[in-house]
Amino acid sequence: MTITETSKGDIAILSLNGSLDVLSAPELRNNRSVIDPEKTVVLDLEKLDFINSTGLGAIVGALSQKLQPAFGIVLSCMNDGVRSVFEITNAQKLFHIFDDTAAAVVFATTRQGAHA
Amino acid sequence: MSSIITLTLPGEIMFVRLASQTASLLADLVMGENRQESAKHKICHAFELAVSEAVTNSVTHSEEHDAPQLLTVSFEFEPRQLTVSVRDANPPFSIDQPTPDIESYPLHGFGLKIIREIMDKFTYLRDGDSNIISMSKTF
Repeated sequence: MTITETSKGDIAILSLNGSLDVLSAPELRNNRSVIDPEKTVVLDLEKLDFINSTGLGAIVGALSQKLQPAFGIVLSCMNDGVRSVFEITNAQKLFHIFDDTAAAVVFATTRQGAHA
Repeated sequence: MSSIITLTLPGEIMFVRLASQTASLLADLVMGENRQESAKHKICHAFELAVSEAVTNSVTHSEEHDAPQLLTVSFEFEPRQLTVSVRDANPPFSIDQPTPDIESYPLHGFGLKIIREIMDKFTYLRDGDSNIISMSKTF
């Protein structure tokens, strides 16, 4: 998996490309923006082909580190396979999930401003 | 009549994808051409995910318990069914562990739940010193 990081204002946008599983999960867990409790992160999953429960655990674990867990990690552009893992585990209830990344960034920016 | 392909793998995380992607490829092969692409994709994904979960469990528990570092993954295919079995030499375990509450932000513990949800049949057998997880789906 590769992670491409860009930013918009104070929001970090991490685009995941490939598979998020036991082999690649440490890369996400150790990402600087993910670790930073004050950093709001949008995870763009458009190019994430595959995720399993270990990968899900990395995203859930990232959320738990945020000062504002409800808004600290925002998700966008899940394919059906990725979405199925969130639905089976009920993890979708922890996240705000958007169909496009621009909307996710707008939401994250608004929420961050509201809690600043 | 069924056919069986068996992989013997080192119990290392770098080989998890080899097993899971083999399952997906074999499911695609067994289903052939006479099926909608979206339906095929969903079934192939189910096998990739289920095998990824089972082999990840096997490999990570092997590392925890310092057990022998080999596992076998068998793919038994019939015209309308694929069964994947994962055998390892780890200590026995219970498949009745409760699923964690997602609101406690668990990092682990959903693998068996996912397998149960996406496969038609899931069994666990302790055979001598081995664990055998079998997962099958008819299509």
